[in-house]
Amino acid sequence: MAKEVLISGCAAAAQAVKYSRVDVICSYPIRPYTAIMMELAKMVANGELDAEFIHGEGEHAQLSVCYGASAAGARVFTGSSGVGVTYAFETYSPISGGRYPVQMAIADRALDPPGDFGSEHTDAMSCRDQGWLMGWAETPQEVFDNHLINYRVGEDRRIMLPQFVCHDGYFVSHIPGKVILPDQSQVDEFLPLYKPLHPLDPKHPVSHGPQIRPDQGAIMDLQRAAAFLEVPKVIREAIDDFNRIFGRDYRPFLDEYRTEDAEIVFFLQGAHARTARFAVNHLREKGLKIGLVKLRFVRPFPTEEIQECLSRFKAVGVIETSTSYGGAMKGGNLIHEVRAALYDAPERPLTTSFMAGLGGDVITIEDFSWMAEKLAKAVKAGKVEKYVYWVGFELEE
Amino acid sequence: MAEVYEVTVWTRGVSMDKEGRDVVSALAKAADREGKFVQAFDNYEDLPDRVGVPVRKYARISDEEIVMRYNYENENPDVVVIVDAALVKGVNVLRGMKRGGVLVVNTNRSPEETLKFIPNKDTLGAIACVDADGIAGRATVDFSGTEGGVDASGLGAGIAAPLAGAVAKATGVVNLESLAAVVANREALKRGYEEVVVKTI
Repeated sequence: MAKEVLISGCAAAAQAVKYSRVDVICSYPIRPYTAIMMELAKMVANGELDAEFIHGEGEHAQLSVCYGASAAGARVFTGSSGVGVTYAFETYSPISGGRYPVQMAIADRALDPPGDFGSEHTDAMSCRDQGWLMGWAETPQEVFDNHLINYRVGEDRRIMLPQFVCHDGYFVSHIPGKVILPDQSQVDEFLPLYKPLHPLDPKHPVSHGPQIRPDQGAIMDLQRAAAFLEVPKVIREAIDDFNRIFGRDYRPFLDEYRTEDAEIVFFLQGAHARTARFAVNHLREKGLKIGLVKLRFVRPFPTEEIQECLSRFKAVGVIETSTSYGGAMKGGNLIHEVRAALYDAPERPLTTSFMAGLGGDVITIEDFSWMAEKLAKAVKAGKVEKYVYWVGFELEE
Repeated sequence: MAEVYEVTVWTRGVSMDKEGRDVVSALAKAADREGKFVQAFDNYEDLPDRVGVPVRKYARISDEEIVMRYNYENENPDVVVIVDAALVKGVNVLRGMKRGGVLVVNTNRSPEETLKFIPNKDTLGAIACVDADGIAGRATVDFSGTEGGVDASGLGAGIAAPLAGAVAKATGVVNLESLAAVVANREALKRGYEEVVVKTI
């Protein structure tokens, strides 16, 4: 029987992993994702979960264990945060290049310096081009759901790609929220057991990860790129099934809130979307035609959906929770993708980016109101003042 | 925005961590049973905790959905609960408190005696003293809840039970019956409710 519990995002992730019947888990502690592994270690120790639990001696080793375990045909789970994510960086491309559908939870934490436990998406976003699926959750419930959805998509024979399943550290990872834990039979219907293609097997020897010649490199890159082109279709199928089996109401890529008659929208991914919804309500009461578009997958980036969706509005404020120092948009990161996707759209909205929530800072209703004011001003002027605003740090004339 | 009732608990890292968390969890779960919107969480910046350091736990209770759920602190607590009375000496435990707030202290001293240690007592509307140590007799310890994990060791078996009862009596924010439905040591809860000494200021 399904039941509702009040648990943190970390605990929700651990529950999803248990329901997914994983074979191998590899841990290494770092705040704030650690509790996922604390919970899984308890489940394995008390016999609730029949999995191999391995403790790595660092994140690089941790991901290397996952590489090997996946090559042997196991359903694998791991996770990290902040500098733990970047310490394992070398392993990400071999895992996706070898087409191992390893799943890694990332509970975001700001990168150093100096030391900051707060949530910032730069840790995960720095890894976005390594051939892994990537997307964020807004609540512990969405954390739970995304872990199941990602295994299903990543392990699909048409895809065979690893997945970064991300949620904001502290806000989502630590603050408990209501989560519906389904019946195991629902998960079993949605997510069949993993059937590897060519697992390591002494009776049928195969090579994994051999050295190749330069002229063999391009074709492997092409195959990874081609696999990514198939992902949107598989995500759509998975979301349809998920909504049917679990009674949810997800859109595959873009979750819209009060956009029907909106002229301006906030565009963002992750935890702050929750506060943004209240900000939209607040601003609508003041007469502003504003809505919210939440990105559920940044890899693959839903180019066509973005064109179709965002071209309906006059201005889009991309709320950045990661940085791209010296980038084309002068600091914002996600806006690069948004602008590139909109380049061929018949109607292009005005777009600008707002640096907010960096280092784990809270984004308040007042902050959202300030951003909305800038967007409304841009609509009136017919152009954006600049590419990037640092929310809370701009000197007003 | 709807009014959010804020409860801030000051406790000590590791040794008294669970008791502090149990106070906020019990109040939030009880209010949830009464149909309120609730939130209970640890202060992330005080963590990872070390033995004996002051750490904060928060509960929030509201008639409507809590807008700023993703925040770090209770900035303006209505109630402050002190799990270890000695904490009032080194820490400004009433920081940010709304005028007329309530302070609940785990102590066998009288309200008059305890007030001598509170420099900014004119903020207070009332002080409530309850000998939670004497009533419950023990502090329970568990390490799994602090870092976002699940504390499965039970709720309110130790000194948190009389403290939660004292909060209910001094503030009326939740009913004793709702607390009794979520707390393990009901006898201690009831005694905390009945034996707390409340002094209006």
